[in-house]
Amino acid sequence: MIAVLICLSLACAIPVQAADQSCENCLGGGLDAPIKIEVFSDFQCPACRTLYLDTMKQVLKDYSRLDKVCVIYHEFPLPMHPHAREATRYSLAARKLGRQQWLAVLDSLYTDQAIWSQNGMVQVSVARVLSPLDYQSLQKLLQDPSINETITHDIALGQERKVLSTPTMFVTAIGKEQRVDGGLPFPVLKDFFDKIVK
Amino acid sequence: MASILRFLHWFCRLALAGVFIYSGYIKVQSPLQFASAIAGYKIAPDSMIMPLANYLPWVEIALGVLLLAGWKIRYVALGAAALLVSFTVILTVTYLRGIDADCGCFGFGQKISPLTIARDTLILIPALVLIFETRLRNLTAQASTAAGRTRAG
Repeated sequence: MIAVLICLSLACAIPVQAADQSCENCLGGGLDAPIKIEVFSDFQCPACRTLYLDTMKQVLKDYSRLDKVCVIYHEFPLPMHPHAREATRYSLAARKLGRQQWLAVLDSLYTDQAIWSQNGMVQVSVARVLSPLDYQSLQKLLQDPSINETITHDIALGQERKVLSTPTMFVTAIGKEQRVDGGLPFPVLKDFFDKIVK
Repeated sequence: MASILRFLHWFCRLALAGVFIYSGYIKVQSPLQFASAIAGYKIAPDSMIMPLANYLPWVEIALGVLLLAGWKIRYVALGAAALLVSFTVILTVTYLRGIDADCGCFGFGQKISPLTIARDTLILIPALVLIFETRLRNLTAQASTAAGRTRAG
């Protein structure tokens, strides 16, 4: 009887846990969207900056908001970028605060990339866009060991999928996954999306 | 001499067809990846990138198949040469502009370099052989006739 109860509780718990986990790094759109884009990105990589600011923000606005495209960001800080890991830690801590805060921090980190890449003052760009209360909470969240675990997990996932450079995207639509090493201008992705979801 | 020319003809046809079919097949697998490579060249307007990425690989495959089939070889080789010359010019211009772009020629992840430009130029040779094959045959025929006359004289 106890075994049956344990099995039942596990059967109920696993799908919920899996759904929460996979949605955590969803930047926009739901997992049931017809198109899914997974991005392996590094905060200190200039091409990742262009992809986020010029392409992904527009994708989030025009497609994810309407639940047509699900954008998932995986952290892939490259060892050659000395401040990328720290920026990633701040971003993941902001993610724990909520999607609004996460988006604000992502925006700020990519916009100010040239500044903090030079002086290493990642916290300045983060503090600029958060309320003092949120920033205080974020400082506490930075101590959470799960942040480093998430980075390790994302890097392992990238290595498993043979990610060698950033940005690397995996675009899944109509049951087919396409790998893209490098960025894509928004109008090109728009052309592709509109054939599927318009 | 005729057997050498025949061998050369088949070698060039098969090599060129293989190169075009392989190159097209790789790109057909991921039009978005090819689109990213085209975008990296910063030469085509954004509105042209996806149509190019969708249709150019099929043109390459069609040229390869036609070369294998042996239909109007000279004209097909001319088309292949035109495509190769365009690719080589675009590669060279992009390289000279100092753009660090992915070649996107045979698979992805290889940056444009003098090596990739030389490779594309080298692939042009079999196409040129097929285009000028008739002239080559005539020249060798004339040469062998002249050699025969000299021997007879």
